[in-house]
Amino acid sequence: MTSILSQHEREEIDYWLARYPEDQRQSALLGALRAVMHHDKYISGEKVAAVAEYLDIPKIAVYEVASFYSMFELDKKSAARHSISVCTNVSCMLRGSDDVIAYIENKIGVKEGETTSDGKFYFKREEECLAACVGAPMMQVDHVYYENLDNEKIDKILDGLE
Amino acid sequence: MISTLKHYVKTFTLFELLQGLSVTGKYFFKKKITIQYPEQKTPMSPRFRGHHALRRYDNGEERCIACKLCEATCPALAIKIESEEREDGTRRTTRYDIDMFKCIYCGFCEEACPVDAIVETRVFEYHFESREGSIITKDELLAFGDKHETQIAKDRAVEAAYR
Amino acid sequence: MSETITIEVNGKTLSAQAGEMLIAVTDANEIDIPRFCYHKKLSIAANCRMCLVEVEKAPKALPACATPVMDGMKVWTRSPSALAAQQATMEFLLINHPLDCPICDQGGECELQDVSVAYGSDKSQYVEAKRIVFDKNIGPLISTDLTRCIQCTRCVRFGAEIAGMRELGMIGRGDRESIATFAGQCVTSELSGNVVDVCPVGALTMKPSRYKARAWEVIQHAAIAAHDSVGSNVYHHTFTQQVMRTVPSENDAVNECWISDRDRFSYEGLYSDERLTQPMLKKRGEWHVVTWDEALETTAKILNEANKDQTGVLASANATLEELYLLQKSMRAIGIDHIDHRVRQTDFSGQNAAPLAPSLGVSLEDLEKQDAVLLIGSNIRYEQPMANHRLRKASLQNAKIMTLNPYHIEFNYDTTEQSVSSVAEMLSNLAAIAKAAGVELTHFSNIEVDEQTQNIATYLKEADQALLLLGNLATQHPAYADLCALAQLIAEKTGATLGYLPEAANTAGAWLAGVVPHRQAAAQAVQTMGKSAQEILTDSTKTFVLLGLEAEFDTDNPQKSIQALAQADNVIAINSYVNPRLKEYATVLLPASQTVETSGTFVNMEGRLQSFKGVSKLLGDARPTWKILRVLGNLLDVDGFDYMSSEDVRNELKVKLEQTNAYQAEASPEAKPMDIASSPVSEHSFHRIGTVQMYSGDSLLRRAIALQQAAGDERRRVTLHPDDIARLDLGDEQTVSVAQGDSSVRMSLVADSAIPIHSALLPSATQKSVELGSAFGMIQITKG
Repeated sequence: MTSILSQHEREEIDYWLARYPEDQRQSALLGALRAVMHHDKYISGEKVAAVAEYLDIPKIAVYEVASFYSMFELDKKSAARHSISVCTNVSCMLRGSDDVIAYIENKIGVKEGETTSDGKFYFKREEECLAACVGAPMMQVDHVYYENLDNEKIDKILDGLE
Repeated sequence: MISTLKHYVKTFTLFELLQGLSVTGKYFFKKKITIQYPEQKTPMSPRFRGHHALRRYDNGEERCIACKLCEATCPALAIKIESEEREDGTRRTTRYDIDMFKCIYCGFCEEACPVDAIVETRVFEYHFESREGSIITKDELLAFGDKHETQIAKDRAVEAAYR
Repeated sequence: MSETITIEVNGKTLSAQAGEMLIAVTDANEIDIPRFCYHKKLSIAANCRMCLVEVEKAPKALPACATPVMDGMKVWTRSPSALAAQQATMEFLLINHPLDCPICDQGGECELQDVSVAYGSDKSQYVEAKRIVFDKNIGPLISTDLTRCIQCTRCVRFGAEIAGMRELGMIGRGDRESIATFAGQCVTSELSGNVVDVCPVGALTMKPSRYKARAWEVIQHAAIAAHDSVGSNVYHHTFTQQVMRTVPSENDAVNECWISDRDRFSYEGLYSDERLTQPMLKKRGEWHVVTWDEALETTAKILNEANKDQTGVLASANATLEELYLLQKSMRAIGIDHIDHRVRQTDFSGQNAAPLAPSLGVSLEDLEKQDAVLLIGSNIRYEQPMANHRLRKASLQNAKIMTLNPYHIEFNYDTTEQSVSSVAEMLSNLAAIAKAAGVELTHFSNIEVDEQTQNIATYLKEADQALLLLGNLATQHPAYADLCALAQLIAEKTGATLGYLPEAANTAGAWLAGVVPHRQAAAQAVQTMGKSAQEILTDSTKTFVLLGLEAEFDTDNPQKSIQALAQADNVIAINSYVNPRLKEYATVLLPASQTVETSGTFVNMEGRLQSFKGVSKLLGDARPTWKILRVLGNLLDVDGFDYMSSEDVRNELKVKLEQTNAYQAEASPEAKPMDIASSPVSEHSFHRIGTVQMYSGDSLLRRAIALQQAAGDERRRVTLHPDDIARLDLGDEQTVSVAQGDSSVRMSLVADSAIPIHSALLPSATQKSVELGSAFGMIQITKG
C-alpha cells in the first residue's frame, strides 16, 4: 500500500519523522500531507491510506487532518497546475476583492471553486484571512503572496505562469 | 301591620302570578332558539371536537410520522400505534387505531400532534353496528380525512392565530 | 494514594481526592451538572461547554469536566452566572440541531432534550438557515442522522479508547464538521453498538430497532447476555411483549457499561421464521403437529423403552443451569449415563483432571491488573469481547499479552509476542515454553527453545501477576489434555495462575450441573462412567436426546454427527428452532424457550451465578425448557420433580454445590507429543483451523439478521497463506474445491499471511462447513 508513495514523498516524510520522537509518528502527518499535495496537487483516498500506513496511524486520523485544513484538496477536480486563492476576508473585501474575483473569473473563464478545462488553473474559494491585510487586496498563487492587486498586475502574474 | 297589608295587596292583585307570567310573555315574543334537528342544525365552532381524521399533505403524502405523542398523551388510552421504517426510509405507522368507545373527545391528541395529522372534525353524527366497529383503523381515518379535508383545512386556518 | 481535600459546592462541603475533576466529585455527591461530551469511561475533551460552573476567583465560568479540584475551592453550579453560561451554551448547541424529535428514536431518552428542558431557554435568537449533514451508511448495525450531531466526539473517543479501533472520526472544520468513517467504510468493531449508548443525541441509533418503539412505551427488564461466558448484564426493552432492543446494564464487576454487538443485536433471531412453535412427531416419515400431552408421552415411552446403554444425551452449553440440571437428573434417574455438553471438544483424556468447572482463576476486574497473560488457543477478542476489553486495559498499563495460536490474530492492542504455528505444532510450542520456564519434561526431549518461547517464559516468570488462559481453540484442540497438562506445569513453575475461558454462556454451569459423563451434579461421583460427546455421536447410539443443539452446526464433526443421528431410531430434539436438516434426522420436536423467554441462571467465567427472569412472550405453543423437562421427569416417574419454580431447581443445586467447595480434581496425566503427522501427507493437504466465528456460535446468533449482514462473507471462505496459493498455483482461482472425509465443497479463496503455511482457516458452523468433517482435521484443497 505504501508503495504508491513516490520516492520524494517518502523522503519528505522521513525527513519530518526524524525531527520528532520515535513514538510520535503522527507529528510528521502535516509534512507528509504537504508532500503529497505538492506532488499530486490533491490528496487522493489511496494516498491518505498510504500515508496512514506509512506513519502507522488510523486512516481516519489522516483523513481528519486532511479535511480540516483548507490548504489540502481532497477532490481530484481541484488538481491543477496552479492554484489561485483570493482573500475575501474583511480587509480585502473593503479594498475590492470582489472586483478581483470577478476579473479573474472573467479572465480564466471559470467560477470560484472550478478548474479550467486545460488543467492550468484551479480557482479556489478561499475562506480564511490570509494574514496580509496590509497589502489588501491580495491573492495567493501556488504558495506565493501577491499584494495590492489591480487588473494589470493580475494579468502579469497569471500570464507569466506556464 | 304594614307587612300584613303588603301581603294582602300582593295576594289580591295576583302580583306574583303576573310576575311569573311576564317571563312567559317575554319568551313568547322573543326569537326562538329551539331548532328542528336533524333538519335544522345549530351553528358550530371551528374548535368542535368530533370524529377523528388523519390528514394528508397536498401532495397526497400522509402527515402522520408515528411519533406516538397522541398515544402517549391520550388520557383514555384510546389510541394504539405501531410503526416501522417505510421503504423510502421515513418513519410511518403500520397501525393506527382509535377506540371511539374509549375516546373522551378531549382533543389532547390534536394538540400533541407536531404535524397536524390527527384532528377532530366537526362530524359528530356517526354510529357503529357492532362493538368492533368502534375501533377506527388507519385507512378509515385517512379516508375520513380525505372526505372532510376542505372543512378541516378551513377550520385550522381560522384557528391558526390562536394555536 | 492522593491526598483528601475539601471543596465547597453550592454551600455544601464535600471531600474529594486532589486532582479529581470537579464533575466526578459532584457526580459522586449527586449534584447535577449538565454535560454532553464528558463520559466517565472516556477521556476528557471539554468541547461541548455544557458543564460550565462558577468557581470562586475565576473570572469566567469554568468547565467542570476539565477543572481539577483544589483545596478550599468554592463552586456554584446554579448561580446566575453559571446558569447564564449554561443557557447560552444550550442555545448555541440548538442552533444547528433539527427539531425532529418526533421522528427521532432517541426522543424521550435524549440527553439533549433533558438538558434543554432543565437548563435551556424556550426561545432562540437564531433565525438563519440551519445546517444539513447528509447521513452516511456505516454498516447494518448503526444508523446515522448526522444533522442531529452536536460534535461531542464521544463516539470518536469510544473508538480510540475503548474499542481500540479508530473507525469514526470528525472530518471537516467549523460548521462543516461531521462524523464519518474513512472512505465510507462500515464500522467493524465488535463493540461498535456502544457508540449508540454514548451518543447523547439521536445522531447514532440502532438500525435493527429503528422506528419500532418509543423510549416511553418499552418495558425494561434486567437480564444476562447469553452469547459468551462473560455474562454481561443487560436490559431487554420489550414492547407488546417482544424484545425491541437490548442495552447494557452497568455492572463494574462484569461488563462495566458496555456490551458486545453480539449481545446487543442477537434478539432479532428470536423472531425468525425458523422458530419451532408446536410439538411435532414424525409418524411414518411424515411430520404431524400434536398436543403437548401426546408429544411428551411419546417421548417418555421412547426413553423408557430405549436401550439405556445405546442412548445419548447432548445439551447445548447455552441452556440455563436449571435446564441442564433437570436434564441430567431425569436422564440419570432412568439409567442413561451418556450425557455431555462438550460437543465441539475432541480430546477427553484429561477430563478427570479438570477442575470443578472451567473458570478464569481471577475475577474479571483483576484481569486488567495482570502483568503478563499467555493466551493459549484463544481468539479472545471475538470469543469473549468484554473479557478482551479487560485485557486491553491491562495491555495499556504495559501488561505483556502473549498468545499461542494456530494463526496470527489482529488484536485491538499491542501484543508482546504472538507464537503462531500449525494446530499440531501448538503443543510442541507450549512444551518449548514449559522447557524455557524450567519444567522437567519426560517427553518432548528434542524440543528446542527459540528466542520467542524464551521471552514468553521469562515474562511469565518475572511478572507479579501472571495468568495462563486456555481458550476455545485450546478446548477444541485435538490434544487438549496435553495442552492443559503443560499449562498446569508452566503455571506451577512460573507462579502464574491457570485459567480457562469457557466457550459458551453456561459452560461452567454445565460442569456444575453435571452435564458431563464422568461427574454428577456438583462433581459427585458417577456410578457408571458415561460416554463423551464424541463417543455418543457414533452409530452405536440408537436414541438421542438433543437439548438446544443443531448438531450440524454445533458439533466438531458435522459429517459424522449427521450420519450418527440419521441412523438412530429416535432423535428427540428439545429446541427453539427447527431447520430442514433437523427435521430429517429428528423424530420428536419439542418447542422450547430461548434464554430471554425463560427464567434461569448462568454461571460466568468467574463462577458468578447470575439469575434472570423471562422477559418476552413465548411463541406459539412453546414452553419454558425447564418446565418441559420437569413434566418429562414426572412422566418418567422420577422422584423429586415437584419444582414450583426455576428458583427451586437452582436452590437444590446450590445446596449441593455448597458441599463441594473443596473439590479436588485428579492430577493431570503426563503431557505427550501429538501423534498426528506434523507434516501434511500430500501437497494438497492442509491443517484445518475450524474456528467458530463471532456471529455463528449459537442458534440465535445464526438467525440474527443484522449481525449476519455485519459478519459478511469472510467466514464462508477458506483462507490460505499466499505462499501456499502460489505453490499450488491457485492464484487465479476464484473458487477451490475443499475435501474432507467423504465430501467436498466449493468455496471462494482468500489469501492472508496471518495463516501459517500448510494451514487453512475454514470456520465451523457455516452452511459450507456442515458438509465437512472435524473442525481441526486435515482437508484437501484442489483447483476447481
